[in-house]
Parts: sequence; C-alpha cells; structure tokens
Amino acid sequence: MNPYRSYDARIIEVKELTSREKLFSLKFLDNEIEENFTFKPGQFVIVDIRGFGEFPISLCSSPTRRPIQLCIRRVGRMTKFIHKMNEGDIIGIRGPYGNGFPMDLMEGSNLILIAGGLGMAPLRSVLWYAIDSGKYEKIYLFYGTKSYEDILFRDEIIHLLKHGEKLNCHVKLAYEVETPSCIYLERGFSEKVCKGVVTDLFRGEEFDVENSYALICGPPVMYKYVIRELLDRGLSPGRIYMTLERRMRCGVGKCGHCIVGTSVSIKYICKDGPVFTYWDALSTRGLI
Amino acid sequence: MRYVKLHSEYFPEFFNRLKEVGRVYGPVRHNSTYRFEEVNSIDELSLDYTRTILPPKKFFIRPRDAMFKIQKNEVTEVDGDGKFVLFGVHSCDIHGIKILDKVYLSNPPDPYYERRRKNAFIVGISCMPDEYCFCKSLGTDFAMDGFDIFLHELPDGWLVRVGSVKGHEFVWENQDIFDDVTEEDLRNFKEFEEKRAKAFKKSLNKEGLADILDLAFTSKVWKKYAEKCLGCGNCTIVCPTCRCYEVCDTWVRAYEALRMRRYDSCFMPTHGLVAGGHNFRPTRLDRFRHRYYCKNYFDPEAGFNCVGCGRCDEFCPARIEHVKVLDEVREGLI
Ligand SMILES: Cc1cc2nc3c(=O)[nH]c(=O)nc-3n(C[C@H](O)[C@H](O)[C@H](O)COP(=O)(O)OP(=O)(O)OC[C@H]3O[C@@H](n4cnc5c(N)ncnc54)[C@H](O)[C@@H]3O)c2cc1C
Ligand code: SF4
Ligand code: SF4
Ligand code: FES
Repeated sequence: MNPYRSYDARIIEVKELTSREKLFSLKFLDNEIEENFTFKPGQFVIVDIRGFGEFPISLCSSPTRRPIQLCIRRVGRMTKFIHKMNEGDIIGIRGPYGNGFPMDLMEGSNLILIAGGLGMAPLRSVLWYAIDSGKYEKIYLFYGTKSYEDILFRDEIIHLLKHGEKLNCHVKLAYEVETPSCIYLERGFSEKVCKGVVTDLFRGEEFDVENSYALICGPPVMYKYVIRELLDRGLSPGRIYMTLERRMRCGVGKCGHCIVGTSVSIKYICKDGPVFTYWDALSTRGLI
Repeated sequence: MRYVKLHSEYFPEFFNRLKEVGRVYGPVRHNSTYRFEEVNSIDELSLDYTRTILPPKKFFIRPRDAMFKIQKNEVTEVDGDGKFVLFGVHSCDIHGIKILDKVYLSNPPDPYYERRRKNAFIVGISCMPDEYCFCKSLGTDFAMDGFDIFLHELPDGWLVRVGSVKGHEFVWENQDIFDDVTEEDLRNFKEFEEKRAKAFKKSLNKEGLADILDLAFTSKVWKKYAEKCLGCGNCTIVCPTCRCYEVCDTWVRAYEALRMRRYDSCFMPTHGLVAGGHNFRPTRLDRFRHRYYCKNYFDPEAGFNCVGCGRCDEFCPARIEHVKVLDEVREGLI
C-alpha cells in the first residue's frame, strides 16, 4: 500500500460561495471507497491534481451526509487551478488525515463553535454532525466574517439564524465591513448579528463552563483573543479545542514541514493535530 | 552477537563476494572530501575516511526522487532499484539510519524507503574520530544493531560482528573466508576501542539539554548566531537525520509528468510559508533556532535527533559550531 497514492474522485458539483471560495462536491469513482469513506469532523484530505501538485483541505461536510464536500479558497497556484475545474472533472483525494475533534467525548455537552473567515469550513463539519446526531446539549456558532459577501454557506447561516433554535443551534454573526446587506441582516436579527469581531459575540452569553467545549478555527491572529475570552469565563484549557494550519506536503508525518515545538516537545500538525487543546499549546512552543 | 574474523589476505575476496549481493557503494576520496559512490574494486575505496559529504541517507531518501509517473489520470508507482551494499558505514551514520527508520517505517510506512531498506546490505566499519566528531557523548559511537555486518579494524584483518539474519546468511554462505576469533584478536579489538575513546576532542554536555534549550527560547545566543548564519541550509542537507522534503510535479513530455520529491531545508524561507503569504517562521532567527530544537528534540525512547557526526560543522561556510552554540545557550541561561 502506497499511502501517497490518491483515489480518483469526480467533481459532481461546483458551487460558488463567494468571489474567492467555491464548494466542491465529490464522489469517488470506486464504489467501495465511496461507501466506506468515513472521517471525523476536523480531519482533512490531500487534494491531488495529477501533474500539477497536491494541497491539504479540510472536509467541510458532515460524515453523516453525502456527498463529501470541500470548500476551497482561491489563493495561489493550485487553488486557482482547481477553481477552473468543472463538474465531471477528475481529481485525486487521499486521506482522511489528522485526529479530528473528539466528538464522542463531547457528547451531552454544549459545543461553542468559534469561526473566523475560512475557519467556518472545518467547523461546518462539526456543526452538521452535531445537529444531525442530536447528541449534544446546545450548539453555539459564533462566526466572524469580513463582510456580508464573505459569509461562507450564507444560505445555511441565514437559515440557522431563522430556525436554528428548533435544531438546538444558536448562531451569531459579526461582520467588520458595513454594507447595506449587513445592515439589513442586522435589522432582521438584531440579537444575533452585529458589527465587530468574533469576540464581541460573547457579550451577553452565559455558558455552563463545566459542561461546555469550545472549538476554534480561524486565522492565526484570532486564537489569542478568543482563548483569552474563554479562559476569562472560566473554561478549562482542556475544554478549548482549536484546529491549526501549517504548510503540509505528506500529511502523514514524514516530510517535516508541519513540525512545531522545541527540544522537549515536538508535534506534527498533520498527525498529532490539526486539532489541539490549549494544554497542548501551553506545552508546545510555537503551536499558536 | 556472532563474531568471526576476516584475515587481510581474504579481504579482496570478501569484497568480490559482496558484489554478488548487489551493487556496492563505498567511501571514495575526492580531494579533501569523501563521497559514497559505486565501487568496483577495493583500490577505489578509502576505508580510513572521516565522513562523507552526504550521509548514507541519500540511498534511502534521495536528493531527487520520483514517486509516481502520471499520464493523464493514470498514476503508476515508480519502482525502486534492486539490491545494494553500503560498504563502510560508520557507527554514527548507522544510528542516523535508525533515526530515519523511526520516522519512515512508522505507520504508515513509506514504501520507497521501506523497499530500499530491505534491499540494502549494510557493512559497518570502525573509525577514528577527528576534531569535529562528538558521537561519543551522544552514545552513537558504537552500533549494537542497524547493520548486517560490522568490521572492526585489527592489525592483521577485521573482527566481524554479525548484526542481522541477512548478515548471518552472508557469513554462513561464505564460511571459507572467515575464521574463528582468537584471544589475541579480542585484545587488539579492546586496544583499538580504548585508543579510539581517548581520541575524541569534542564533547557535548547533554545533561538536561532538552529542558535547558526549551527554557532558553529567548536567549541572545540564538540571535548572535542567526546573524552569522548565511541561511544556506548546508547543515540540514548534510545531516544524517534531517529529512524534510518538498513535493512537486515535473513534466517530462506532453501528457507525462513525474511526481518528484526533493530535499527541503528548514533554513529556506518557504519552509514555513503557507498560502496567503503567512509565514510561521519568517525570520532567520526563527529558522536557525528551529533547527537546533529539531536536532535536540529528546525522545525518551531514542535520545536526540543528532548523532554527533560533525558534518554540520565541517560544511558550514560561516564556521558555526553546533556544540559551541549549545554550550553558549546553556551558559547564557544562568
Ligand atoms: C490542515 C489544513 C486544512 C486546510 N483546509 C482548507 C480549507 O478547508 N479550505 C481552503 O481553502 N484552504 C484550506 N487550507 C489551506 C490550503 O491548503 C492552501 O490554501 C493551499 O495549499 C494553497 O495552495 P496554492 O497552491 O493555491 O497556494 P500557493 O500560495 O500557490 O502555494 C501554497 C504554499 O506553497 C508554497 N509553494 C507553492 N509552490 C511552491 C514551489 N514551487 N516551491 C516552494 N513553495 C511553493 C507557497 O509559497 C505557499 O506557501 C488548509 C490547510 C491545512 C494545512
Ligand atoms: S546535527 Fe550536525 S552533528 Fe548532529 S547529526 Fe546532524 S550533521 Fe551530524
Ligand atoms: S551551514 Fe552554517 S551558514 Fe549554512 S544554514 Fe547552516 S548554520 Fe547557517
Ligand atoms: S505534512 Fe508532512 S510531516 Fe506533517
């Protein structure tokens, strides 16, 4: 078995989410693989465009649903290439990789999902898994975006703003750039939408810190502020989970790119993570 | 362990028999440096070499290495070469391979590495340290395993330690050139080892080193040396335990590409760069320090990621000395 070999997958749908992000729905050509492909929310795959290269992308669909989906932002060479691909095109997929969020451990507790920008992609997997399984107390989603136009999965978010409580899901949204659409949204959901950054969404919220877990994903700058907010509220560092990004090539702990830490503790983001607790961050320098 | 003796007069025949195992690669002199190269006769070998520029890792993780051939959507695994003999590997380099084994053979095993490891017949050889060697302080100056046979120099030949089933098979099938070990051989072996132990000029104080380094994250010593460092990455390329690689697809002709991997170095600014231009190790200081932390990561089961071969010192154009940097960081802490 060659762990670097990817499986053929067909792009069955391409949906434009924003001007920079597209949602790719995939189906493995091999029926057996299609049926048996399972993963945990928070895991990622390596996308292989044969002849051009590979790059890591989080699974953004829930393991409870099909097809599997990837939300890909166009930022550089490879992602630009896949943005030009269409329904019917074949790419390679290998994985799933990484540890994922401990969904079983968190059963029966409140989940506080805190997403910044593209961080919504991996957390969407958690969100729908939690909603579909019905095994969690209450689900909070605090989502910070740049502007209305940048809201990923906008339809789903607006749906949850409207009907989330029925699904046990409490969604709040913060935007940074004021546009007419945002103001309109804010008027409709004055309790749930505000101008500001993601930490502003904590205002007025009470959590049972003994029975909650926080799951964070966003740009590197976000972690410090969000974690401080959570610690101030008395959440234990062991209940703070975050998913991290590094340059990755192999995905299985060989190529060395994702190594962080020092002489006493070295971690591979690809196989020891990408999900870590704040305890890990305290014992591994450079993790966040 | 089984011990046998190889008399000097049988040495050429021994070499010929090895050639039957597979292609033989051994240390060859080039002016003042040495390289592992294919050798066809013992005259080409320099058995008293100090260290080669590239360690034997180049036979298992190649500087440039094709993984897959890609034709449209057809992907085929590129097969490794056949059996080969690595002749004259020093103890530190054997330990280097053992460290690579831990990474490349752990789950999921790297198929390219695994295949080459199975194809390799490793013949170790005893050596005398020069001014750069500090393997003794890391316990990598003697190999108990990781080789098939190991040759220890005696005045009239070699004391051979047999370290694996493959090694046993070789000795078994070539009984005619090996003899029993005599008491005199053992005396000579002991004498050589004692002389060697005294010959080390450099040593690393590894007492509590991992914690000391961790505590000294903000030490000024890192900064001082990062300013001297040219960021060339030589120290990582020549290191027997450094193994970062980059992957890229290269087109060989229309509709045919090769997925290649090649050595990467944490000294390159792109090593920690991710999309959008964010760099997790943006400065030379970050990168310089990272290498020391990676090499001196202390695994309770296996020790450090450095085997004290001295290559990084010998081939550093800025003359930065590994042990000196670590000693200064230690001193700077208190
Ligand atoms: C665990 C994980 C999960 C992720 N999940 C998502 C997700 O859900 N959605 C998403 O959009 N993104 C995600 N990303 C980020 C995604 O992997 C990057 O956006 C993607 O790799 C960008 O590739 P690119 O070729 O388009 O960008 P580029 O900027 O062209 O290249 C990416 C990186 O490789 C470098 N590089 C490219 N070519 C070379 C070369 N020839 N030599 C040296 N360096 C080179 C670049 O400098 C850059 O750092 C995730 C990353 C990780 C690690
Ligand atoms: S760090 Fe230097 S001395 Fe240690 S194994 Fe690598 S090259 Fe040899
Ligand atoms: S070999 Fe010397 S100069 Fe080059 S990167 Fe290493 S420490 Fe710096
Ligand atoms: S991505 Fe290669 S070691 Fe983690």
